[in-house]
Amino acid sequence: MLNTSLVNRHLTITTEPIDEGALLCARTMSVGMGAVVYFLGVVRGNEDGKTISAIEYEAFEKMVTHQFNVLFAEMEKRWPIESVRLVHRIGVVKVNEPSLWVEVIAPHRGEAFAACQWLIDGMKRVVPIWKKPVA
Amino acid sequence: MEISVHFYSYLKELTGCARTVETLAADTTVGVLHDQLMEKFPKLTAMKKSTLISVGVEYQPRDYVLHDGEEVSLFPPVQGG
Repeated sequence: MLNTSLVNRHLTITTEPIDEGALLCARTMSVGMGAVVYFLGVVRGNEDGKTISAIEYEAFEKMVTHQFNVLFAEMEKRWPIESVRLVHRIGVVKVNEPSLWVEVIAPHRGEAFAACQWLIDGMKRVVPIWKKPVA
Repeated sequence: MEISVHFYSYLKELTGCARTVETLAADTTVGVLHDQLMEKFPKLTAMKKSTLISVGVEYQPRDYVLHDGEEVSLFPPVQGG
């Protein structure tokens, strides 16, 4: 899917740890924006009642990129988003480490919160990433 | 026609392979291919209702008619985040 949007979109699927500091430093926003919402998804130490040490994420990467772009396009139709950046780790992610980082920038907080929540819900519905607990 | 089929997540464990190639009659649908795969890999049958199917990078329903050379993927419900 071709990205013809004027919105700042950044999607990263990576085996590397998520560098929150670098992501925050790279933030850009225009003077009309009043809300930045970002969410960090972190690996919990238990899965289905069992203690785990990590989660191994597997992705169908070509489809992941396409489905995220479909979600971004729909999100931009629904809310006046200026920027969306999303990083998802794949491979083994240890407990307490982030597997997901999402940032949405919009003029007002209601739009930014709603869009961010909607994007994560959409990801969990259609983006082909799977997890396997590591004991 | 030949269709390449990819399995992801625990469907790989159920089939014992990540990829197979199926020879199909023209105008075969996704649903017929799925039925054929469940005959070939009976362990897939337990996941029949929850299996998601894409052609290329788009989800497709069971009545989608396949074309020669298309790539089909079968996988369980997604779990990102």
